Amino acid sequence: MTGPSPDQDRKVPTYCYQCVAGPDLLTVSVRDGVAEEVAPNFAAAEVHPGGGKVCVKAYGLVQKTYNPNRVLTPMRRTNPRKGRDQDPGFEPITWDEAFEAIAEKLNDIRARGLLDESGYPRVAASFGGGGTPQAYMGTFPAFLAAWGPIDFGLGSGQGVKCYHSEHLYGELWHRAFTVGPDTPLTKYLISFGSNIEAAGGVCGVWRHAEARENGIRRVQVEPHLSVTGACSAEWVPIRPKTDAAFLFAMLQVLLHEHPQDALDQPFLRDRTAAPYLIGPNGYYLRDLETEKPLIWDSARRDAVPFDTPDIVPALHDRFRLAAVEIGPDGQRWEHEAVEGQTALWRLREHVRPYTPEWAAEICDVPAETIRRVANDYLAEACIGASIEIEGETLPFRPVAITLGKTVNNGWGGYECCWARTVLASLVGALEVPGGTLGTTVRLNRPASGRIESVVPGPDGFMDYPMNPTDRDSWQARPNIRNAYRTLVPLAANSPWSQALGPTHLAWLFQDQPPENLPEPTLPEVWFLYRTNPAISNWDAPGVAEKMARFPFVVAFAYTHDESNHMADILLPEATDLESTQLLRIGGTKYVEQFWRHQGFALRQPAVAPRGESRDFTDIATELAHRTGLLEAYTTIINKGSVGVRLQGDGYDFRLATDQVHGTEEIWDAVCRAASAELTGGAETDGLAWYREHGFKLAPFPHLQWYLYPAMVAQGLRFEQPYQERLMRIGGELANRLHEHGIAWWDEQLAEYQALPPWKDFPALWETAAAAEGGDAEAYPFWLLTARSMQYAWGGNAGVQLMNEVAGNVAGHGGVIMNPAAADRLGIADGDMVEVRSPLRATRGEAVLRQGIRPDTLLMIGQFDHWKTPFAKDLDMPSMNTVTPMSLKLTDATGSGADIVRVAVTRAEGSA
Amino acid sequence: MTRYVMVADLRRCVGCQTCTAACKHANATPPGVQWRRVLDMEIGEYPDVRRAFVPVGCMHCADPPCMEVCPSTATRQRDDGIVTIDYDLCIGCAYCAVACPYQARYKVETPRFAYGEAPTESEAQRHEAGRIGVSTKCTFCVDRIDSGVEQGLTPGEDPEATPACVNSCIAKALHFGDLDDPDSNVSQLLAENQHFRMHEELGTGPGFYYLWDRA
Amino acid sequence: MRAVPRQQGNWDWRAAGNFLGGGAGTGLLLFAALGGIAGLPVGPIVLLALALIAGGLGFVWLEIGRPWRFLNVYFNPRTSWMTREAYAALPVFAAGLAALWLGPPMIALAALCALVFLYCQGRILRAAKGIPAWREPMIVPLALATGLAEGGGLFLMATPFLGAAPRWALLAFIVMMLLRLGVWTAYRSRLIAAGAPQETLAVLARTARAVAILGVWLPLLAAVAAFEVALLAPVAGACALAGGWWLKFTLVTRAAQTQGFALAHTPARGAGAAGPGARPGWTGRTA
Repeated sequence: MTGPSPDQDRKVPTYCYQCVAGPDLLTVSVRDGVAEEVAPNFAAAEVHPGGGKVCVKAYGLVQKTYNPNRVLTPMRRTNPRKGRDQDPGFEPITWDEAFEAIAEKLNDIRARGLLDESGYPRVAASFGGGGTPQAYMGTFPAFLAAWGPIDFGLGSGQGVKCYHSEHLYGELWHRAFTVGPDTPLTKYLISFGSNIEAAGGVCGVWRHAEARENGIRRVQVEPHLSVTGACSAEWVPIRPKTDAAFLFAMLQVLLHEHPQDALDQPFLRDRTAAPYLIGPNGYYLRDLETEKPLIWDSARRDAVPFDTPDIVPALHDRFRLAAVEIGPDGQRWEHEAVEGQTALWRLREHVRPYTPEWAAEICDVPAETIRRVANDYLAEACIGASIEIEGETLPFRPVAITLGKTVNNGWGGYECCWARTVLASLVGALEVPGGTLGTTVRLNRPASGRIESVVPGPDGFMDYPMNPTDRDSWQARPNIRNAYRTLVPLAANSPWSQALGPTHLAWLFQDQPPENLPEPTLPEVWFLYRTNPAISNWDAPGVAEKMARFPFVVAFAYTHDESNHMADILLPEATDLESTQLLRIGGTKYVEQFWRHQGFALRQPAVAPRGESRDFTDIATELAHRTGLLEAYTTIINKGSVGVRLQGDGYDFRLATDQVHGTEEIWDAVCRAASAELTGGAETDGLAWYREHGFKLAPFPHLQWYLYPAMVAQGLRFEQPYQERLMRIGGELANRLHEHGIAWWDEQLAEYQALPPWKDFPALWETAAAAEGGDAEAYPFWLLTARSMQYAWGGNAGVQLMNEVAGNVAGHGGVIMNPAAADRLGIADGDMVEVRSPLRATRGEAVLRQGIRPDTLLMIGQFDHWKTPFAKDLDMPSMNTVTPMSLKLTDATGSGADIVRVAVTRAEGSA
Repeated sequence: MTRYVMVADLRRCVGCQTCTAACKHANATPPGVQWRRVLDMEIGEYPDVRRAFVPVGCMHCADPPCMEVCPSTATRQRDDGIVTIDYDLCIGCAYCAVACPYQARYKVETPRFAYGEAPTESEAQRHEAGRIGVSTKCTFCVDRIDSGVEQGLTPGEDPEATPACVNSCIAKALHFGDLDDPDSNVSQLLAENQHFRMHEELGTGPGFYYLWDRA
Repeated sequence: MRAVPRQQGNWDWRAAGNFLGGGAGTGLLLFAALGGIAGLPVGPIVLLALALIAGGLGFVWLEIGRPWRFLNVYFNPRTSWMTREAYAALPVFAAGLAALWLGPPMIALAALCALVFLYCQGRILRAAKGIPAWREPMIVPLALATGLAEGGGLFLMATPFLGAAPRWALLAFIVMMLLRLGVWTAYRSRLIAAGAPQETLAVLARTARAVAILGVWLPLLAAVAAFEVALLAPVAGACALAGGWWLKFTLVTRAAQTQGFALAHTPARGAGAAGPGARPGWTGRTA
């Protein structure tokens, strides 16, 4: 097998997976060994859900490859002092010296024990980009798995920069790590700040453009007129962080302004817990014998366990019955004759006060707009209609609601996610054609199959791998520094869970050690790849200061940057167009990747690695070798840690575990196994085949876009609308924490409510500003951010082309504000302005746009670079500088919201 | 006869600039030179505001003012409507640039690279000295069209015969084809939808149509 | 890239220099011809006029990207006013230089050729469709009128070397000044009526004050007074020249906003209705 021939003019098929909206399949034109042009892989046009097109970010890869600012040899820090103000004094070393330095540290740790005195892993690793770095890490995950316990929970912005509440609640309710509309069939879509036209990547943009052509009515509810707002039928400028009030008012309209039979009765009755009876303590009324939740059977006129066959469940009423309620830690309330109210009845009473008129005041949106949107939502739901998908008849409910960042994370995220899912349930538009769908699972198993993850759990619902809260199993001593298993039952314990816990706590606790948890310690070795926490976190400068304390940091370094400024060893890995990896593609996946195919795509070297950069797989293999882990490492590869099991029915491409294997050998085996897996063993095409063709696919059933058939098949119900389980778990968690003297999580515990009421969410941030700065009125603006398709996740702020093309989209590099608001402050378009929170200030050019609320400022991107070459000279603002990292602003799932109260003034020196 | 035109569906365009980047790749234009780009326009006042993304570039006008003013005859028009520039004739007077109502023309006086004075390997390989000091603009990827047609391919349908921006468009907002062929994709689109051309009142006869609603 | 009209950056002070030199040189040549007929020793003035025109063309040569291909400018007489200007310049220099030996008739011929040359300059601007301030048809008479006024001004400035300013020259100068005033006023009115980039009109409005004082009223007053106080003639001339040059310099380097971009309609998005068009940064008519 040979590598790319440098003298040939070729089009090299490969993939780009810089962001979660990918991967995109592309070709790179190479002439005389030099990459010249990126283009869509036209061979994928028929099978890719985005017409085979390629996102704008992929076009930055050529410059990324040839960026003269790249780190092209391993380097060692010579200045032991660390900090932004310190010159690291990096000096080039050989790979051998670099491996030796790392192996020495690692072997020392292995000799002393993998956990430190607090019980935390001595080795930590942080990766950015919503899991996309794994698509570039080759076999490094196998090395990490071979190593043993590693702390993956030192966040670089997770929680505050992601759809955090949606990830957790979404997976609980409908296997929806992210939630998307069934865009090709949806007729009415209400998008609360979901910037799908920027965040949805090629597939998102393609699907929504098609939907517009088909007449979709999308209402964008958002404080500023984003790209998505621009492409919507209607823009509703809502006051920040009041989306839950709008959604609650929609619930109110549906439940109080329409007859009960206007809702999807069969769906509510059979596919949700709407008929479950609730007792006086707020828990399900359960059968005394079986402890199953009870339903009132209108036919028998009696309460029966929910799974009794041939019943006619009552939905809207109250009944008297004998039952038992079971609360936290098995607490029981046995009732001889007690009133049981259906969950739907409770819901209706719960939302009674939330009228559109009530919400209008809070949201600064006219009541008639809210009422109209709610009525349209109901009218467009086509309740009763059905559609045939691949021969199966399913309900057709072409209405959906999507939520964007800052709406679906941080305080208020739970309420929005809950209300959205309840709204879908009321009209039967959850997980059916046209409705609100999940895309993928990251917490449930198996990771590769959303539908397969549907297994029966308690009370007629899907199972969910909660972190235990019972007295015996609750994890009093966290396994990693962010304490996700201790504090967040919903975070589960999949390979993704560490990064989906309250990742900022690992940073926060360093200066504020948590009472009654083990002493926070620093990891002795910290690996960094495709992440830049020193600029990407909330309170980024504060995080950078803390990073400077870490004793030994190994950074895979593309260029020097703000985070690897604190590193001890820099390793130049072969980048996107220089290295090899096979990636599983297709099926359904965030953000709106809904494929009719599934399979594998190869990333391969279009050009030879520059300088001394090395393929990640070779680096991982060498590290495994030098730490005595080669056998375990290879075994783990064989078991499928890089995406494919190398052995299956009728095929066996396992690698010998006592030998060192090169990158090509490893990926050839992976390719062969992938081909075999995909074809049931019929084909065993290897690396050479993928190098030529780029990808291999097999059909993926359209029916598997929807959870509904699996729910019906297993007789399961969506856990809506009443969150009895969460309430009970919250109670147990409170018991555990209080037993251990932990009271600092009490505000978060309050989120475990079966029916969440409206809380004054904006006031949380106003109060926080006042607490820090003394006077809430001194910070009269909301500062928000918005997705930039050109930059998001790409780590490409140092790529000139991205800067150039992003400059065509209004507001990149500046502070977007309303001209009337600017005028009052004497700020003109182009003036340099200072945006100040109680924490700090950031500066940027004022970009006056009409499409933003007068009380809101917007900074696209996160550009406070001070080290990254090229990016540091762009003079851009960043809200990460001014957003405080705060326990008080952390919700029960461990997430914050990317929002902060600020003041804005014309900066001195403005022209 | 053949009349190549571009059609941009404003209902679909999201302003992502993928076409801008793809054009820069296909044509190796230096930093700051964007033969294809997408404007981000805002119309109205808060809260009654609209935002539109508008692909622009050389409109390959039927009556190109750039060609009329060009003193050297470097700018010419082919029979298929594509307006070309002969870099070997152009004196770089930039008269065409001020004559173009679409700000589509660029003149770069000295070599310009992404990262300062020195070109990257890719830039060095693709740098064309002949483009310095002369007027440049969108060519509708004319070389691609010509070689595609030679192979019997259809511009606007076969990627190998279609401008890079159209090939790259992730919203299927950009279309290219032969206006004189009533069955072509662009003719169909124009028949089925309402459209306008920019600055039509100037009489330039732009070969670039914007769709804005159903017919 | 913003949609609103922006000052063009393709032609800078060097291109402006061509219009300054060409206009003033032509005007001066015309006055020199009249002076020659009147028997004045205008040889040096002719040389100055030719130098101005040549200097202007030299500035353009400095601006073009491929100066050694300058002869290619002659390739498109069929439609390009720049080619025609280049052709028109040739007889101006031929006749002008010949006039140094052959006397006033040749100066008159040179002046006539220069008028053609100046007309071409006006048409160069008018053909620049991308610049609303230039493509306004009144730009042609404006270029002619201000060129002649500037030339008249220069001639008055030279009169101390010719003895006192002749009354005919003062009269002609005043006529030129009034002509320029009229054309300039008409030009602006037409531009406002037709609609133009807001910035163009704002720049012109700011310039109009300076042009009015420096380029119209001061030289007019001084010229009238110069009938009595001959020393004021050069002052009048200098003001007229400065006013004209400032006007043209402004037209090229500050009031030359591009067309910008406009939409006849904003698009429908899905079930949402289409919206009205817009021409950001413009006054008057909308799309």
